[in-house]
Amino acid sequence: MSAASTNRETKNTFRLLAPGVVWMILFLVAPIMMIVYVSFWTQTTFSINSTLTLDSWRNFFASEAYVGALWTTIRLWLIVLTLTFVIGYPAALYVGLLVKSKTVSTVLLVLCVIPFWTSFLIRVLAWRPMLGKEGAINIILQKFGLIDTPIEVLLFSELSVIIGMTQIYVVFMVGPIAFMLGRIDRNIIEAARDLGAGFGRIFWKIIFPLSLPGVVVGAIFVSVMVLGEFATSGALSGRKVNLLGNIIVTQVGSLKWAMASVVGVILTILLGIVVAGFLRIVDLKREI
Amino acid sequence: MTQSDPIFRLEGVTRRYGNLTALEGIDFVAEDNSYIALLGPSGSGKTSLLRVIAGFETPDEGRIWFQGRDITDVPAHERGIGFVFQNFALFPHLTVFENIAFGLRNGATKVSDAEITDRVRESIDMVGLSGLEDRNPDQISGGQKQRVALARTLVMQPKLVLLDEPLGALDANLRERMQMELRAIRERLDVTFLHVTGSETEALAMGDRVAVLDAGRIVQYGTPDAIYDSPSISDVALFLNRFNLFEGTLKNGIFEGAFGAVPVASARTNETDVYAIRYDRTQIFDTDSSYLPGPALPVRYLASEYLGSSIIFLFETADHKTVEVDHHLSLGEPRDLIVGKNYILSWDPAQAIVFGKEITR
Repeated sequence: MSAASTNRETKNTFRLLAPGVVWMILFLVAPIMMIVYVSFWTQTTFSINSTLTLDSWRNFFASEAYVGALWTTIRLWLIVLTLTFVIGYPAALYVGLLVKSKTVSTVLLVLCVIPFWTSFLIRVLAWRPMLGKEGAINIILQKFGLIDTPIEVLLFSELSVIIGMTQIYVVFMVGPIAFMLGRIDRNIIEAARDLGAGFGRIFWKIIFPLSLPGVVVGAIFVSVMVLGEFATSGALSGRKVNLLGNIIVTQVGSLKWAMASVVGVILTILLGIVVAGFLRIVDLKREI
Repeated sequence: MTQSDPIFRLEGVTRRYGNLTALEGIDFVAEDNSYIALLGPSGSGKTSLLRVIAGFETPDEGRIWFQGRDITDVPAHERGIGFVFQNFALFPHLTVFENIAFGLRNGATKVSDAEITDRVRESIDMVGLSGLEDRNPDQISGGQKQRVALARTLVMQPKLVLLDEPLGALDANLRERMQMELRAIRERLDVTFLHVTGSETEALAMGDRVAVLDAGRIVQYGTPDAIYDSPSISDVALFLNRFNLFEGTLKNGIFEGAFGAVPVASARTNETDVYAIRYDRTQIFDTDSSYLPGPALPVRYLASEYLGSSIIFLFETADHKTVEVDHHLSLGEPRDLIVGKNYILSWDPAQAIVFGKEITR
């Protein structure tokens, strides 16, 4: 290749990359730098100025409520992640592998997505008449005489937040896993059977490893959304459950930009660690 | 063990998909320690038959016997029958070594790690894959994948190996080499290979015996030369792709076709009246030739095809049917033919095979 054509190719590469790079700098890199910067600003009750200080950071780690919210966020994230996996994997296994017809499996996947045609808020709030003290579940259980007094812990508790989040996010686990399972060549499952492996062995040695990239993608989707959540906990916990997202909302509401930035930075770091951790499990580049 | 002990036996095996009957009452007995080629055109049910024997599908009717045991209701992973897939079906996330070790590691019987290593190494040597143990399937060539698939099956020491068009995905050179290797490997191992193929040359070259499958039935089973020399029905002659077939009518020992009326000494039972003469038994004469060995078929010369050891001449009859003549170059230089000119094809009537509704003795 001549020097001139190499030069032209490099030029073309830059031209093609430029719009994306500009966009990312303007709307991703710059805002993140800004948040990090603001988190070190000095906050007084009614105003904020750019004198650098560690006060907001100290306040965050000194406050039991804030650090507690960090742990609550991590705990709820782990619980919801586990539940979406435990509920989502068998569903994906059915849709992606056990259903033989491609049409049926597409129809089933679309059925999983249909709830998303209603707004997020309605989906969350719909849990209230379901879980409430005089909600559907309590009424049914009482009608059948299984309980005498309504179960109060169903709504406005951590449980209701977990139920709500799991229902909303489980589909993000089902989709990628079902996709990966659908790509598995049926012949290799038959080959494993022919070599004497029973279903359990085939699942653990062939099917599960081959679906792992789907699990990782699903887990990243769920993690990113759950860690940044504030609406579900706001609507279903009765303000009893405070996540990092809820703190950001209240801090911004009372114009405490510096503290909101601190929480934002912590959340971003947490997300970075989680996503990087998941990507270590599989080499996604090989799958694409 | 003697050659004639059956390794597996099919009794009236029938398989239907909805209204479509893929296999229709197949009875078949396969000798132990032999190479059986199963020849059939696409859609004849050959893959269905293999899948039924392997246990991936259950027959709607009939029984399957393997080593003297009825295995019709035994699940695939307990049958101990090897299967080599056309697309190789290697486990993409496992190395060559682990692909081959899979059956030993995950089968019902526990095999020690030391034995696994020994047996896998032995199979790797046998199929000539030494040095590639740690590669992944996407890092090896098509021919090497084929060998891994074969080693993975053979390491389990099955008595019967089913091969579903195993050479179909390979290029021509490799195919010929693998043909010889497959035969050599089988002979060393005292195992029966049932090799499904749509290629008549492959079936005739590889099988100790050839079974011809047509529309869900086995229409002929015998040695390659028996099938080649005396196809049982006209469809077999058609699949062999070595015969000029002429339709006509057979009546009172006389066959009437495009080449006139010919007396017929014997005919085989068939659904239609068909007159067959091998490509290499058909001879070319000028239109004014004074001597003809038998019937005279007027044709027009179209083209020739050079095959190295022989030349195929293509002719067209008056009713636009293509007729082939295979001239072996060992029999001397072929004559020069002029494209578009008329010639007469003739043959020794004793070498023709006649199929008919009417049986003549």
